[in-house]
Amino acid sequence: MTSIQIDGLKYQYPTSDFKLAIDQLTITENLVAIAGQNGAGKSTLFKLLTGLVHPQAGEIHINHRDLASLTPEDRLKTIGIVFQDPSSQLFNATVEKEVAWSVLQVETDAAVVADTVNDALATVGLTELKDKNPFDLSMPEKKLLSIATVLAVNPQIYLFDEPMISLDWPSQQLVTHLMQHLAEEKHQVIAITHDMNWLAATFAKVDVLADGQVIFEGKPETFFGDSALTQKTGLMTPRIMQIAQEVFDDSRVYLTPEDYFEKHSEKR
Amino acid sequence: MANIQQISITHLSFTYQHDTNTVLHDINVSAPLNSIIGIIGNHNAGKTTLCRVLAGIIPNMMGGDLLGDVHIGNLSPTKDWSVLNRQTDFVLQDPNSQLSGLADTVADEIAFDLLNHGVDETTIQRRVADVAAQMQLTAQLQQSPSSLSGGQLQRLAIATAIVTKPGILILDDPTSEMDPQGRADFFNWLATIKDTTIFIVSNEIDDLCEIADRLWVLVDGELVRKGTSLEVINQLNPEWQIGTPKVYQLAKLMYWSLGADLFPVNINQLRGCVHDQHSN
Ligand SMILES: Nc1ncnc2c1ncn2[C@@H]1O[C@H](COP(=O)(O)OP(=O)(O)OP(=O)(O)O)[C@@H](O)[C@H]1O
Ligand SMILES: [Mg+2]
Repeated sequence: MTSIQIDGLKYQYPTSDFKLAIDQLTITENLVAIAGQNGAGKSTLFKLLTGLVHPQAGEIHINHRDLASLTPEDRLKTIGIVFQDPSSQLFNATVEKEVAWSVLQVETDAAVVADTVNDALATVGLTELKDKNPFDLSMPEKKLLSIATVLAVNPQIYLFDEPMISLDWPSQQLVTHLMQHLAEEKHQVIAITHDMNWLAATFAKVDVLADGQVIFEGKPETFFGDSALTQKTGLMTPRIMQIAQEVFDDSRVYLTPEDYFEKHSEKR
Repeated sequence: MANIQQISITHLSFTYQHDTNTVLHDINVSAPLNSIIGIIGNHNAGKTTLCRVLAGIIPNMMGGDLLGDVHIGNLSPTKDWSVLNRQTDFVLQDPNSQLSGLADTVADEIAFDLLNHGVDETTIQRRVADVAAQMQLTAQLQQSPSSLSGGQLQRLAIATAIVTKPGILILDDPTSEMDPQGRADFFNWLATIKDTTIFIVSNEIDDLCEIADRLWVLVDGELVRKGTSLEVINQLNPEWQIGTPKVYQLAKLMYWSLGADLFPVNINQLRGCVHDQHSN
């Protein structure tokens, strides 16, 4: 069971007024969403969690080990990230080489590397594009490729920064299933998202950031049930709750249309 | 002859240079000028390519084998590009590729196109302030564009496009990184603007069904459905695997129909249909 423990974390960029300040945050669940307005500090938190950016104060412990003390290879095996902007992660000549490059950071056996690359590309459905230049891919294909590069390393903890951006319906299903599968296999999966419908349908735990601080930790039901809090964080309730509110003046919590159907079908 | 009140596309086909796949196949469709047209479809269905043709980027900046005819009012993106280009703004799917790369601050980036249009300094300042406020970028105006968060960058990409008040606005998945409130504000704003033809590609099917006058569905480069969102969503083929709006999903589960197996796709239609059922 993995755990992330953050204490007294402070971070500020040299060129903006933004301040991230997290007194205490513990993440132990296997499938966790992070939500918050644009500029709330979600991606900044992820960068700190990868150890690529160093905080000005505070500590991050992963499985009770100080993140700062991990060797680069240990770090790669412990925590992997799919960046919000997939282009920033891609620089090899072909899709296949892109994934191979990632694997080579943690594995030297050529046969194992080749198998791992094939599996990762097959999982995200990009096998046919393996000889293409990553820069010629569409936005969603780039996103799927950056997911494959992390899958190939198979770290204990997966950070997904807005994995659903521009993905079509079938790919959204694919990525959701993939994340659920990883979580069942005892990986820790943490995803930043703006999609409240997906959040409500998929996650049992959400951490909400506002202005660089954590202002909610808990169940999506609890968060969406507190309309003052939802408003204050600039987020919105899932679409099904907006529908219930606007059409029936019903302000109860519903996570999905199916949830609404179940809660109303007993009475009918 | 071109109808000046219509968008019309006739027998449009396109294949990119050095490629053999036809990306758009014999597209035929028309719609009134100044409407909001939502374009939906899965990966590689041709949505971005269609946007590029509508904007005249194809064939003027990207080559290939283009057949057929496109008219937006009396202008053709292929033949009258310089005139059309001045009235058109395009928000690209990847906001990173939208930046001029020449501005040190967010304010200068928003002002960039206005300067090119020869607008006077006081008007520029006012427009930049207004658009920044609308897109909630006021606090970031003096920041460098390269230091913005993903959603802020996308807001900037939209700001640079709408600041010139274009007559034609082409939006390729413009809200994918925006927070929920920002996305809702943006769609609500789109619904209020007048005298503008808007083409919007989006996965936000709920929002599209609230505001779009027409939906066009692309599957493998073919325009397989066109019409109002009510017609189109009710006639989707499950094999296309296209997402449906929550109103429609709910109405189907609860069997709140508008009659004849037709289910509502937006809040107004749902309200009407539930109201009718209760009064029956
Ligand atoms: N490299 C940077 N230099 C200076 N300021 C930055 C930099 N990156 C981000 N910021 C600022 O820090 C704040 C938090 O940014 P961050 O990217 O963490 O937000 P976010 O919650 O991920 O937002 P979004 O939903 O838009 O992705 C923003 O105000 C942003 O402008
Ligand atoms: Mg971010």
